[in-house]
Amino acid sequence: MGPGDRLVADAVRRCGPWPAVLAVTAVAGAAGELAVPFLVGRTLDLLLARSSGAATALVLCAGVVAVVVLCESLGGWARGASSAYAAARLRLGVLRHVLGVGRAATRRFPEGDLVTRAGLNAEEAGRAPETVTGALALLVPTAGALVALTLIHPLLTLTLGAGIVLIVFVLRAFLRATTVISGGYQEVQGEIAARLVDALDGARTIAAAGTAGQEARRVLAPLPRLRAHGMALWRANAAAGVRSGLMIPLLEVAVLAAGGLMLAAGRLTVGDLYAAARYAALGAALSTSLGYIGGLARARAAAARVADVLALPPVSYGTRPLPSGPGTVEFRDVAANGLTVGDLTIPGGTVTAVVGRSGSGKSLLAALAGRLTDPERGDVLLDGVPLRELTRDGLRSAIGYAFERPVLVGDTVGEAIGAVPGSQAGREAAVAARADGFVRRLPAGYDTPLAETPMSGGERQRLGLARAFARGDRVLVLDDATSSLDTVTEREVSRALTGDPRGRTRLITAHRLATAARADQVVWLDEGRVRAAGPHDALWRDPAYRAVFQEGPP
Amino acid sequence: MTPAPDVPAAPDGPSVSDGPSIPDGPSIPGAPAGFWRALVREPRRLVAILLWSVLEAAPAFLVGHAVARAIEDGFARARPLTGLAWLAALGLAWLVSAVGARQVVLAVAAVAEPFRDDLLTRVVQGALRRPLAERPDSAATARAGLQVELARDAFAAVVTTVRGFAFTLVSVVLGLLTLAPGTLVLVLPPFAAGLAFFLASLPALARRQRAFLLADEELARSMTATATGLRDIEACGLADREDERLARQVGAQRDAARALARVTSVRTAALAVGGWLPVVLLLAGTPWLLDGGAGPGVIVGALAYVTQSLAPALGGLVQGLGVSGVRLVATLRRIAAAAPPPPPAPPRVRPAGADVALRSVTFSYGPHSAPVLDRLDLAVPEGEHLAVVGPSGAGKSTLAALLSGILPPGEGEVLIGGVPAGRADPAARVLIPQEAYVFRGTLRDNLAYLVPGSGGLDGSVAALGAGELVESLGGYDATLDPAALSAGQRQLIALVRAHLTEAPLVILDEATCHLDPAAEALAENAFAARGGTLIVVAHRLTSALRARRVLLMDGPRITIGTHDELIRVSPLYADLAGHWQPEPVS
Repeated sequence: MGPGDRLVADAVRRCGPWPAVLAVTAVAGAAGELAVPFLVGRTLDLLLARSSGAATALVLCAGVVAVVVLCESLGGWARGASSAYAAARLRLGVLRHVLGVGRAATRRFPEGDLVTRAGLNAEEAGRAPETVTGALALLVPTAGALVALTLIHPLLTLTLGAGIVLIVFVLRAFLRATTVISGGYQEVQGEIAARLVDALDGARTIAAAGTAGQEARRVLAPLPRLRAHGMALWRANAAAGVRSGLMIPLLEVAVLAAGGLMLAAGRLTVGDLYAAARYAALGAALSTSLGYIGGLARARAAAARVADVLALPPVSYGTRPLPSGPGTVEFRDVAANGLTVGDLTIPGGTVTAVVGRSGSGKSLLAALAGRLTDPERGDVLLDGVPLRELTRDGLRSAIGYAFERPVLVGDTVGEAIGAVPGSQAGREAAVAARADGFVRRLPAGYDTPLAETPMSGGERQRLGLARAFARGDRVLVLDDATSSLDTVTEREVSRALTGDPRGRTRLITAHRLATAARADQVVWLDEGRVRAAGPHDALWRDPAYRAVFQEGPP
Repeated sequence: MTPAPDVPAAPDGPSVSDGPSIPDGPSIPGAPAGFWRALVREPRRLVAILLWSVLEAAPAFLVGHAVARAIEDGFARARPLTGLAWLAALGLAWLVSAVGARQVVLAVAAVAEPFRDDLLTRVVQGALRRPLAERPDSAATARAGLQVELARDAFAAVVTTVRGFAFTLVSVVLGLLTLAPGTLVLVLPPFAAGLAFFLASLPALARRQRAFLLADEELARSMTATATGLRDIEACGLADREDERLARQVGAQRDAARALARVTSVRTAALAVGGWLPVVLLLAGTPWLLDGGAGPGVIVGALAYVTQSLAPALGGLVQGLGVSGVRLVATLRRIAAAAPPPPPAPPRVRPAGADVALRSVTFSYGPHSAPVLDRLDLAVPEGEHLAVVGPSGAGKSTLAALLSGILPPGEGEVLIGGVPAGRADPAARVLIPQEAYVFRGTLRDNLAYLVPGSGGLDGSVAALGAGELVESLGGYDATLDPAALSAGQRQLIALVRAHLTEAPLVILDEATCHLDPAAEALAENAFAARGGTLIVVAHRLTSALRARRVLLMDGPRITIGTHDELIRVSPLYADLAGHWQPEPVS
């Protein structure tokens, strides 16, 4: 039993009475379904013979039919409910775990993959109980039908077997296997979508030129090819439909013929013949119902994929509260992932710029400063406490981060800033980040849904900055967080930052000369180590330091 | 009877979709109308569907008769050959039916494919014609295209199952009527009860299904947002808030799935009542039927009608309407909401001149948002060369969009040569936005986009210094792949395109931002030399130096004057002028 199976078993145990209902209805329903043809045949014989036991048989028959109906209906309900509960439980477990693991989760699994595992795979794994009972509910009657058929007369089972071989053989000769043609269809679909996206990106040009009609025709030009591929797909479907649709009726006819001959010879009753025909139909569906075993395999595979995510180690936090202090960040003999920081102190309340060519480790240093990454060696301390000993809340409320490409989360723009809606702190942070102006021009200001707010890179950065300003009580880490702002806006943000009334420690990675020039201290990274740290004016004398600023975007 | 295995679990299909992020609009009457229009548009196809359906339904009519006669006239009377002959006839009918079924699929496809084409055309046209301010992002619109595929499949499934059900029902009724009319009394009432029960549950089913799809999509969106934002959630301490949000949405999706399962069980019950009850009643009525002169074969034949034809057809209908039908309605509504019919285009007027006037123009992006432009007055005489400068977010691009008429002003009016900008003939002005539009097609088609069939490309290509580009792309007849071009190359193509037109008013909205300063100067000079009115939204201050007048935007305030005047009167402009110089390196 793998971790995936244990996971499913656990989820099933915790979803209330539904799995039990599911099991009972599946077993009872399967037994009932198997009994019905026999009972109907028997009742028919008694009725035809005008026997006195017919009434009892009829009542029994109706009773079993009622059980089958009840089981089917209740079972359907239980199927839906148990998978809904199991899937929700699995899914929430995965999501919570991912939140605990943090960004390390996306290093192991790409984002889309994570969503698939938490979404589709959790759903599939949640269907495990339903799949097991579903397979049972189908396999028991079909396998049982073959036994029943043999009991009525072994010759009938032989007829069924021979019929299956013959029909498969004949159908295969008539219907060639269809090749995979859906690829062509999807290709044309993709082409139309790409043309549409192109045209939508040129929306202003098209609107100004008044060429929407012409563009629509151009986007839809591949439509005839789409239709050709579509019809080919339909033809393949139709052929497959013939194959599957003929099998059972023809087998039933074959068994009726064999049974009819035995009826003529007096070896079967009319009721037996009816039951035989029904059992033949049930038994012939065996190959179809075997497909349901595949469903169980799918559920197990999905559970294993869910378990993979749960196997990621979550970030562990300490229990120490943060003592009062100015927000001094100390690196002690720190090394991580190819960057050797060694000993470095960022005094509380100062502005430190981190410079260096791309790839020199600026972002990694920024990540280490606020424990987005743990060092392989050494410790990072905030006001004397190692970061890993701090509680999660203590750590995160003390240090605010802003990134080059911030991802905004939340339902509204105000929520994305991370402040209480309408709060003064949030507004102030937005003003400092020069985001207030454009946010107030949105259709509903701070309450505008994030999904309906198309933003430029610069606007997104400003909201990311506002979010950092609103949160970090002691330290602000700005990782290339003003790169998309125009010069004037960048200057305004820098001014707000340098003149931070709360005197927070600021660690800023940047390409721009002005950022370094305004900082109290510059940390110069080169080839994975700290090449120098000190005031900009002192470093400026080194031509190699000056060369750092000649690289990068204009 | 083995009812068709129900699609497992409530969702009736793959769950946690990444469907379009377009909210469901109100019920749009156009959606069902589209269904009927597609169905009756080509009566020939409809007739083909109906004729093949008759063949397909042959066994449904024959099965009871064949079984009854095979027993009564054949096996029960020791005439096995007669019995076998009847059964052979039944087997043959099944083969014919299979051919009919295949043709039905193809005939339905011949209706479903044009239906898909219609929907896709509607989505594309709606997306392209929708006013700029109301557009969802392009990815959402592209996803709406995928909904079209769902609609096509659902359409075909609904047509196939409903039609199959109707034909089978008629065949069975005819069969029973001719075999033993008395059986109809036993079969039809319980069957009708099951059917009515199902139809009555359909609206609730549709509601639950829709609620489930919405909850599922909402959850998928949330999970995607969380997965893409993990770094930011961790860095900004948002984990608790996200946890709470996800828990709420996972719970909502679960409840919706459970509610759907409850209604689905009603559907299953309806199916069981309609399929099983006639069997029990037939048995109960057997003595009465025997008294009426029916033989044992007739009873078995009647049972065959119910178990072989009627019950599977009802199962198909339940699946077809209960799953595909509900899905069809939902997707058609979505498509209609994503692609509403475009507003009627106003008649276009050719302006007499190329002067531009803004009269007390106010514009904001929403009723509660701060205005981008507030009672702006501006007069640009014909032949003017005006540069628009200001910090990002000051509304420069909004002004360009208002000037070219692609955004309507909230209040006031924008006039080109005395004509409201929105009604001016597109040929009267040309706007080149920052994001240059290049499509898959030949370079010639791309360049001559605004003046199709234009012959003399060389003049404009030379004027803008694009000769080298044309050569490197492989000449005018080379096919372009927009993604393979750099942003600068795309801008150059868009500039040549604008230069080719005779539009007397040219608006360049940061249209040269990806060109190097020398190429930018060449382009702006070429447009200045071309004559007419030129309005340049500047990316670099050098564009302002080349212009005759400069419009400085800073929030809703504007200042207008020459470069030298602005340096004197505007500290912001002086600031811009100071900081747009390249930073000193040593």
